[in-house]
Amino acid sequence: MNGAFAIYRREVLSLWVTPLAWVLLTVFLLLQGAIFYSIITHFASTQDVSVDTGPLQAYFGQESIFLLMTLLLVCPALTMRVFAEERRSGTIEALLTAPVTAASVVLGKYAALLTTYALMWTPTLLYVVILRKTGIVDWGVVGSSYLGLMGIGAAYLSVGTLMSAMTKSQLVALLLTIFVEFGLFILGVGEYIFDPGVFRDICAHVSMMGQMEDFSKGILDLRRIVFDGSVAGLGLFLTTRVVDSWRWG
Amino acid sequence: MIEVSRLTKDYGTVVAVRDVSFSVGKGEIVGFLGPNGAGKSTTLRVLAGFLGATSGRVRIAGHDIAEAPLAARRSLGYMPESAPLYTEMRVSEYLLFRARLKEVPRSQRTSAIGGAMERAGVTHMAGTVIAHLSKGYRQRVALADALVSNPPLLILDEPTAGLDPNQIREVRALVKDLGSDRTVLLSTHILSEVEATCERAIVIDRGQLVAEGTIDELRARQKSGGLGLRLRDPQGRAEAAIAAISGVTVSSASATPGAPGRRELRVSLGSELDAEATIEALVQALTQAGVGIHAVVPELASLEQVFSELTRHEAALAGAKPTEVVS
Repeated sequence: MNGAFAIYRREVLSLWVTPLAWVLLTVFLLLQGAIFYSIITHFASTQDVSVDTGPLQAYFGQESIFLLMTLLLVCPALTMRVFAEERRSGTIEALLTAPVTAASVVLGKYAALLTTYALMWTPTLLYVVILRKTGIVDWGVVGSSYLGLMGIGAAYLSVGTLMSAMTKSQLVALLLTIFVEFGLFILGVGEYIFDPGVFRDICAHVSMMGQMEDFSKGILDLRRIVFDGSVAGLGLFLTTRVVDSWRWG
Repeated sequence: MIEVSRLTKDYGTVVAVRDVSFSVGKGEIVGFLGPNGAGKSTTLRVLAGFLGATSGRVRIAGHDIAEAPLAARRSLGYMPESAPLYTEMRVSEYLLFRARLKEVPRSQRTSAIGGAMERAGVTHMAGTVIAHLSKGYRQRVALADALVSNPPLLILDEPTAGLDPNQIREVRALVKDLGSDRTVLLSTHILSEVEATCERAIVIDRGQLVAEGTIDELRARQKSGGLGLRLRDPQGRAEAAIAAISGVTVSSASATPGAPGRRELRVSLGSELDAEATIEALVQALTQAGVGIHAVVPELASLEQVFSELTRHEAALAGAKPTEVVS
């Protein structure tokens, strides 16, 4: 696990000393700011506000489609280089001939991506601070909302890591990741399209929007967490297998 | 330190290495020699644990690389061909990362990194971002990386490729120096490199082992020696004079362009002859025939001929054109 920690530190450093993370952070915060701004202006001009809704619930919950769309853009861009770049430049050879297991390599890199993802969200805590000045903020709901976002991020980043391991081209990794993650997202939209039945239930269970709607109301549904964890776990497991398979290429 | 037995590696339908066995003892400097595309890098990648063998066994410092891959990798320092590095990192950052990855204990890291940088000659570049380094310095950083955990075995894949003559000389001196207290296996397609640095060579061609032995043993494998002669011989008497000596044949003769009466001959000496006595007799015969001798150049000294003989022979068997040898 020492090896995983060394890789984690290097990956975080490498993400933040190259322009990629900063460019993504800028785009991400611009989009989040625009979404938050329009939600705030909407609420400012609304006369009657029901009890269980407010700007934060709208931002993390009912209107979470906007927020999730930005994740569909940012997460694949964050993960695209993680293995593809190493294989294209050949540095993977130095990495895999060090005394580390494939699992350590994958975990170290994934943890670095997750950290970066979390760091990208931290400036949005300012939104909560801003709202705190004019009203009451339920910190439990804020916490569960961010937990929901981390769960979705964990799943998306794991899918992206797997896709990046499957190709030497960052562009192909990016497109594949967007394709798969958009598919996951669209599956959730099925909740509003299909007639009641098993298929609609499945869609409702895997819906990222549904997850954010629940979590933004402070409903911590274990099934959602298990689903996110399963996607992340499966992605990481498959990535480890892919990394191991390079020895036989 | 290295025991390879019946190693085969194929990439689907292409067999890169076929049934290769060799061993490298503790403290040896061994050259792994072969033309481009012979399977050198593939073999070294298997030894370093980057690729898995299709069949055969490899033991590194007593650890089987299939059964105890981490222990095997811990005991070697590997420098991949073309020295891939994380270009966004500083030299010292990169080596710190590698030291952590290679489990150098925290208390020894600073001195290990310092020592490796000093031996590889990159101490003054410690703070430089790798992207700004020249090819030669990158090569040295990769070498420092191989040294940082102070492994008993170094595997260097073409350590001098792409360097200028001064850098090549420095790297060779460094390899010799490193070989004083550890085992080194280095691959190259350059023969003079093996002659300059190695005690022993393993020659591989088209994925198969074609020769193995000390430099002298390999030289002795040369089937026949040759001489180059530069003569003043307007009447063309040299051939007749040489023909009188048994076992010596003229393999080619040509007039030196632009110099009337001057000729260049190549003669080959039978392997059963005593080379020195034969040369004496040859010079005497030529002088008696009234031929002026300007130069006698022995062509015995080079490993190059052994090498091209070995690899050409293999190529001819395979029915392909002779493998090009870069020297």
